[in-house]
Amino acid sequence: MRTGLHVCRGNWSRREDVLLSGDYAHLLPAFAAMRVRQFVLEYATPRAGDIAVVGQALADREIGLGVVNPRTAAVETPVEIIARVEAALRWYRPGQVALNPDCGFGCFAHRCVNDHETATAKLGAMAAAARELRQRQG
Amino acid sequence: MLPFSVTQVGSWPRSRELLRALRDRQQGRLSRAEFERVADGETRRCVEAQLAAGVDIVVDGEQRRDNFYSFITDKLDGTRLMSLAEMLDTVEDKAAFEEMLDTLDVPASAIRNPTCTGKLARREPLAVDDLRFVQQLTDKPVKVTLPGPYLLTRSMWVGAFTRGAYPDKTAMGDDVVGILRQELNELAAAGAAFVQFDEPVLTEIVMGEDCERRTFM
Repeated sequence: MRTGLHVCRGNWSRREDVLLSGDYAHLLPAFAAMRVRQFVLEYATPRAGDIAVVGQALADREIGLGVVNPRTAAVETPVEIIARVEAALRWYRPGQVALNPDCGFGCFAHRCVNDHETATAKLGAMAAAARELRQRQG
Repeated sequence: MLPFSVTQVGSWPRSRELLRALRDRQQGRLSRAEFERVADGETRRCVEAQLAAGVDIVVDGEQRRDNFYSFITDKLDGTRLMSLAEMLDTVEDKAAFEEMLDTLDVPASAIRNPTCTGKLARREPLAVDDLRFVQQLTDKPVKVTLPGPYLLTRSMWVGAFTRGAYPDKTAMGDDVVGILRQELNELAAAGAAFVQFDEPVLTEIVMGEDCERRTFM
């Protein structure tokens, strides 16, 4: 069984300006000490900083790469998603990379940040990107 | 791991019917069996959407949960589900807390906390039943999400309510860790492919100062 740790910058509002900002640099010592296989992290907003921060330090683990924003109505295209994955592939092998949204679509039942249809479309975009990426790997 | 495995962080939007059932259940107007029937249907709909979209690792969408950490009050003795509005009464600087909620766009009545009010004991598993339900719907690997030990210890300790049960936060935290460890072992035995612990507030520890504010968890 795989264990993972998810860390984000808040997901209670669709207002990006009230959520936290900053990269994971200060958390690296804590991450390195944890015996978990996968870090499930935000990378779909500029607030999360550069993938190199975690990629450089924790390339021996897996990354649950946040490639879509769970709080927006717009659905990311496979092309946008693939670009985010390619940035991660500078540090990780394909078998170390999972694709996921930055956080849940409804962490608080009475404050969900999206609807069923948009969430489904975002999953579909990630699956299309994954198919394309696997094809490229051969 | 299958290269580029597609999955989710855990939670899925709730339908109006589910929100009504959740509210009725919390107010004692709906039996547990009736609530589970609604939640089963919504979980099935969520899993079907994932399979149709082509995900590789399935989640249950946390359809049974009030929120991703408060739901433990359904499972543990010594806890009480409390709205942030209720907790306001115990906060020393009420005005500052209210201002923070307002600034951060946090609805005090919609977000609830799992406050520790007594000695913690696991009445039933936190997520093993949820895992088993999803396993009936698909052969794909299943990811289970649990609140992490730091988030739980930090949010569950509300001095005015908790001091009677535990001398300090560390003592309560030891019990939290014990409960999560037991859950993890049982999830492994039940065939979970992936258990993810959620620790969103870790960022606040390192970024909060820069932002000159605290969040509510």
